[in-house]
Amino acid sequence: MKKTFQMNGYQLHLIQTKKFKNISLSLRLQNTLKKETSTLRALLTFVLIGSTKKYPTTKDIATYLDEMYGASLSNNILSKGASHIMQLYSSCVNENYLPAKESLLEKQIELINDLFYQPNVIDDAFDEKIVELKKKELKERLQAAKDDKFSYSLDQLFEYMGRDTTLGIKSTGYEEEIDKITAKDLYDYLKKCVHEDEKHLYVVGDVDESIVDIFRQKLSFPTHQYHYPSAYQFESHKDEVLEVFETQKITQAKLNMGFTINCDYTSDDHYAFTVFNAYFGGFSQSQLFQVVREQNSLCYYVSSSYDAFNGIMIVNCGIEDKDYAKARSLIMEELKKIQQGHVNLDVVQLAKGMLANSLRRSDDEAGSMIAIDYNRDITDKVETNEQYLNKLMNVTIEDIVRVANNIKLDTVYLLTGKERV
Amino acid sequence: MKIIQYHTLKEKLYFNELENGLKVFILPKPGFSKTYGLFSTRFGSIDSTFVPLNEKEMITVPDGVAHFLEHKMFETTKGDASELFARLSASTNAFTSSSRTAYLFNTTANEYECIELLLDFVQELYLTDESIEKEKGIINQEIGMYDDDPDWRCYFGSIQNLYKEHPVKIDIAGTVETVSEINKDILEKCYHTFYHPSNMMLFVVGNVDPQKAMDLIEKNQQSKSFRKEAPIIRKKINEPLEIDKKHEELQMSVLMPKLIVSLKINDILSDGKDKLKREMAMNLLLDILFSKSSALYEQWLNEGIINDSFSANFTQERDYSFLQIGGDTMYPNQLKEKIIDLLTHIQDYKISEDDFNRNKKKNIGILINMFNSPESIANVFSRYYFEDIMAFDLIDATYNMKIEDLYQLYPLFDEKMISSFVVKNEAL
Repeated sequence: MKKTFQMNGYQLHLIQTKKFKNISLSLRLQNTLKKETSTLRALLTFVLIGSTKKYPTTKDIATYLDEMYGASLSNNILSKGASHIMQLYSSCVNENYLPAKESLLEKQIELINDLFYQPNVIDDAFDEKIVELKKKELKERLQAAKDDKFSYSLDQLFEYMGRDTTLGIKSTGYEEEIDKITAKDLYDYLKKCVHEDEKHLYVVGDVDESIVDIFRQKLSFPTHQYHYPSAYQFESHKDEVLEVFETQKITQAKLNMGFTINCDYTSDDHYAFTVFNAYFGGFSQSQLFQVVREQNSLCYYVSSSYDAFNGIMIVNCGIEDKDYAKARSLIMEELKKIQQGHVNLDVVQLAKGMLANSLRRSDDEAGSMIAIDYNRDITDKVETNEQYLNKLMNVTIEDIVRVANNIKLDTVYLLTGKERV
Repeated sequence: MKIIQYHTLKEKLYFNELENGLKVFILPKPGFSKTYGLFSTRFGSIDSTFVPLNEKEMITVPDGVAHFLEHKMFETTKGDASELFARLSASTNAFTSSSRTAYLFNTTANEYECIELLLDFVQELYLTDESIEKEKGIINQEIGMYDDDPDWRCYFGSIQNLYKEHPVKIDIAGTVETVSEINKDILEKCYHTFYHPSNMMLFVVGNVDPQKAMDLIEKNQQSKSFRKEAPIIRKKINEPLEIDKKHEELQMSVLMPKLIVSLKINDILSDGKDKLKREMAMNLLLDILFSKSSALYEQWLNEGIINDSFSANFTQERDYSFLQIGGDTMYPNQLKEKIIDLLTHIQDYKISEDDFNRNKKKNIGILINMFNSPESIANVFSRYYFEDIMAFDLIDATYNMKIEDLYQLYPLFDEKMISSFVVKNEAL
């Protein structure tokens, strides 16, 4: 279903489907995740979509997008293991649903080209005013993210678990670094990204293949062959489990546990681990949900998640402060049971069914289609969804027990409302 | 079975009202892998005082009972409903709002079995005292999670400021204290009163054959008997015109303060068409005033008092309606003054033809996008349906909007009805 075209300086992935009333574009720029450049990249994604020569203010660009029947243009920054990715995302209504036939897509392609080649630059530096606005925006976003205690406590876990390693680098940047960056640094860095980042562009919707020619005419990057590593297995050198408590004025304690697993997206065990994670804490019939929530009423949410690009597993739940020791030991007991070979085949079947359902559903969501393909494209994995599903379905109980025995608790981070002694 | 064609959206909607009063809508989506079913009842946190089925006296139930019942519905005589869906390779969930409770499944297999299971698990009540007590621990943790969420506290606080009597000011999940009062008898009374098919609606969208699905639903419903229900008597709320509090501040552990200015609207419409028109007009007006392309947004952005979390929203449900405007800001007091100043002088604001037409185009595009995913269609449709609005009419209503329709909203901006709510760390 997906067709890939080698363009000037990027790969164009065309996913043709009549399901959607809009057309989605996702341009992803990938480079190595480094502490020195993480804030620069994060800030650049904001500045990049803030204005162009033609539309020099936020208002101008918003006005233009309104006129295009509410077309969207947004940015986000993410990490995929050792890689740092800037994403520009745009969607527009398919003209078939509009009273007047206007090709919005072509104009969106031109706009993306302008972001890179007609930016709002004066004397080799981005417009100061936009840069100042975007610095403030990034700072305030980072602060607001800390106010969300769920994501804050998760970030803290990564920070402690991954100190001085890739895992510990914040992909959204560092507040204290923002003001050190100048408008010129940003423009210089944009030029570097244009040359050195690995680029993939996804188009999803009811579009004709002739759109490829329009991309050829309207959007090119310098053709260098860069390829950056992404998935890796996190390795820890801690002698014992690191336990961190932090106190804030909050009602509910947030427990986060990080595990090393000796497995990642590219491992043979990736499929077994995916099934293990679903069984252990991935859905409502999983061991953690049943034991910690349903049987012991300790929490509203509890789950495990497998970060296949950093090669780690996380467990998190929200509990009463006094239940910390109990919740932690229940979680560890459930893991131990699996490690000792106590696995319920019936629940494994349910877990596989849930994985199949969620994978098939992703076929109806443009964003999910892109995310799944992108994981494969940056790791050179050639695999269809059906092949992936087959591998999941063939995972045995022995496989699950084997991958469970590679799991080791590394770091525990508890954000709590009460001072602990 | 009736068929309604929507040409702009290229969609075909199938509808039937069954003998027991259940309304069923089916929207086939050829080419989609997934099917989504949403079964909703007109019962939410605001339904706190009512006459139970087959009784005469009005009772008041503890806060949070609709939400509590939603949790307990998953327990069935055949086991946990989540597990029954999992056996069909489907996932399930539910949510409770101020005015409704909805149960859903999402699947890519066994669609027809899932539809039946959805009907069956919601149309059967199985409660034990023990399981009710057990649920309280879980719900208290859910309450704790919301207590720590500054966005939710600010959103909800700004609504609480507006109302003296109306139960929309009640926390949807209740409090630890009110949850402790909930028992089997109360849950049963609520269930039998509000889960009658005539108070409910089923929406199925996705990879289904409409005739086959409708036949199955009809057969399923015919096999069950429900007591004949008289119209539900809910307490008529005598909400005073004035607001409860002009300003309120909450201290939380936050770095970014949050502000919402809210405006109570006392002129409540009852006709669905009027409601639809007002909502589309208000959305347009709020966009013209406050969206990223507005002069005001640009000015406030440059002054540093807003960021892209800033937004303006209109709510109208059953018998209450309000506006909320705000976001994260380092300068809550300054932003508050500016918003209030604008709201109090709205009569002087002239809408430009350009702004109007541009925002109209934008809103049409956004509405078309809303019909992209099965989940979004079902949720949007069900929410509007209970307000007697057909969601598929939203786009045409926006097309037909005139500038004068926006000016007609100006009298709703009554300065005495303005309130503000701030969440911050300490005195700024």
